[in-house]
Amino acid sequence: MTFHTSHRALVGFAFFTYLALTVLIAIVPAASIQHTPAIPGATPRSAVAEQGRAIYLREGCGFCHTQFVRDLPLDRPYGRATVAQDYANENPPLPGTERTGPDLSNVAARQPSDTWHLLHLYNPRAVVPQSVMPGFPWYFEEKADAAPGDVVVPVPPRLVSAKGRVVVARPEATALVAYLLSLRQPELPR
Amino acid sequence: MVIVRKSEGFGRARRRGQDSTLQPSTIVDPATVHVAFEYLTCATFWLLVGTAAGLLDAIKLNWPDVLAVPWLSFGRVRPVHTNTVFWGWSSMGLVGLALYVVARTSRATLWSPTLSRVSLGLWNVAAAAGLVTLSVGVTRGPQEYREWVWPVAVMFAAGLILNGVNAYMTVAARKIPEVYISNWYILGAFCFLTILFTTGYIPFYQHGLGNVVIQGYYMHTAVGMWFTMLSLGISYYAIPQILGRPIYSYALGVLGFWTNILFYTLIGAHHFIFSPVPWWLQTTAILFSVGMMVPVWAGGCNLLLTFRGTSAVLQRSFAAPFLLAGIVAYILVSTQGTLEAFRTANLYWHFTNFTVGHSHLSMYGFVTFVIWGAAYGLLPRLTGSEPNTILVGIHFWLAIVGYIIYVISISIAGSLQGLSWVAGEAFIRSVEAAEPMWLWRTAGGVLMAVSHLVFAVNVWAMRPGRALAPTPAPPAAETVT
Repeated sequence: MTFHTSHRALVGFAFFTYLALTVLIAIVPAASIQHTPAIPGATPRSAVAEQGRAIYLREGCGFCHTQFVRDLPLDRPYGRATVAQDYANENPPLPGTERTGPDLSNVAARQPSDTWHLLHLYNPRAVVPQSVMPGFPWYFEEKADAAPGDVVVPVPPRLVSAKGRVVVARPEATALVAYLLSLRQPELPR
Repeated sequence: MVIVRKSEGFGRARRRGQDSTLQPSTIVDPATVHVAFEYLTCATFWLLVGTAAGLLDAIKLNWPDVLAVPWLSFGRVRPVHTNTVFWGWSSMGLVGLALYVVARTSRATLWSPTLSRVSLGLWNVAAAAGLVTLSVGVTRGPQEYREWVWPVAVMFAAGLILNGVNAYMTVAARKIPEVYISNWYILGAFCFLTILFTTGYIPFYQHGLGNVVIQGYYMHTAVGMWFTMLSLGISYYAIPQILGRPIYSYALGVLGFWTNILFYTLIGAHHFIFSPVPWWLQTTAILFSVGMMVPVWAGGCNLLLTFRGTSAVLQRSFAAPFLLAGIVAYILVSTQGTLEAFRTANLYWHFTNFTVGHSHLSMYGFVTFVIWGAAYGLLPRLTGSEPNTILVGIHFWLAIVGYIIYVISISIAGSLQGLSWVAGEAFIRSVEAAEPMWLWRTAGGVLMAVSHLVFAVNVWAMRPGRALAPTPAPPAAETVT
């Protein structure tokens, strides 16, 4: 009985070889590091920020923005190198594979202004003219007047449809900003 | 083992132009032919959908405010593009051809055409449901090629397993003692995707960093153990058939099969170099990425050497150039992949658009060209209907020129991004540097998209036209080399 004449031997051997390799190279290593504890003192995300993260996933932000800083000189601007503990409570973690936009692991430290983020989400070109990021105007609302409690976004008049109207953030936009402002690398214990 | 049927014209390159003597195949079961054609038709539909999605995202990088509605937003369209061309176009196209190859090289009829139709139905529903769910924002997040939510993935997996069973049973009922090398790759592919798909979706070992390890394994082996395996399996049948000569070395095909399983499986972590993923896992991945040169050069050169001395066929056959281009891309892209895995190269190219060029060189230059070559080479012999050869030529040149422009421009874009980052410039400089190249990429993409429309016309022209009658016993003149 050889692989050339026995389909059973061939398929069986190939199947179990691949399964064994999968267990060895993927499942066992994954299982052994999945419960790395979080960094002591890291603040858990608020409920609103967690909602914002769901929107971040839904809009596919992670296809262009990494959350994975390497211990390399060119990654210095984004913060300290990412460690396993940074992904402890992330489900799924969002290291990403492409940086069409900058890394966001520590964006709250670089850009702490919620107004900047709201404006940027409404139309990125309002704050960075060369940006190619999509805007998310559907998370905002244009109104004649702001009601009490509304989060008004100071959109430049050229980006508003009619004079005198105001742009107000919907709850999704404020949640997304809450998530972005939660992206601050905790300090590593010494 | 290559089966050449002289009486059917296998092995003789037909002249350009319509072949009036071409008849529907008299030796292949009509149901098998219909199944293969139905798969290719559905695949072509998803190719057009996936292309539209890809082109839209390419345009959006230059004009970000075009079609600014939620379901056409860049981040939602991207997984629609990748999943549609992966699971819709490539998988259906490859499996349609593979089912035919399995039946033909076993000298048997497809075990159950009905089962394959059920699978095709499941895959179409999955591809459609995947498109809709991702568009409305129902997703597992940016975990590449496993963005589909559970119910969609289960439908796809069910179709996969049914097709795997069907292929296995067909080979089990073969009328010759040997299992031809194509069937090694094809049956293997069904086993491997079942395992890797399941591994990718089971959550128990995927908390935190565990997820990253699985992600590297999953996205890498999906390409290497499913698309590559099927494409090679089909090539090992289609290339000898179309050229009318045996494969250069059967033994190299066997070597390529086992080394592909061993090396390809171990290198997923090279997508996360310099990450907190254990260092030994990264180093193993880099080492075996070098090992990948064994199956790639064994398999690629084996197929390439089969082309040796066939320039006359290449000039006259409209299928052979697609296959040749596909095999050349296979060798190029795999060698490029090995180089990218080195830490120094990774430093410049990781996270850049260079990766996008790499993935298009593999999924388009290799996989898609193999599907086209095999479809053009095999379908007319089965259905008795040929496409217009001028249109096939237009398809070939638009596609190849389009994707060469695409890959070169996006690779330059990636290199410029990497250089800008290493030079420590402000991030937006890398966007500005890439922008002109993105325009070129879109231009290449337009050519590719037009070629797909031409392909759709050609597929329709190859439909089983005349009634495929079950066969009278074939005459002799069958050679087994």
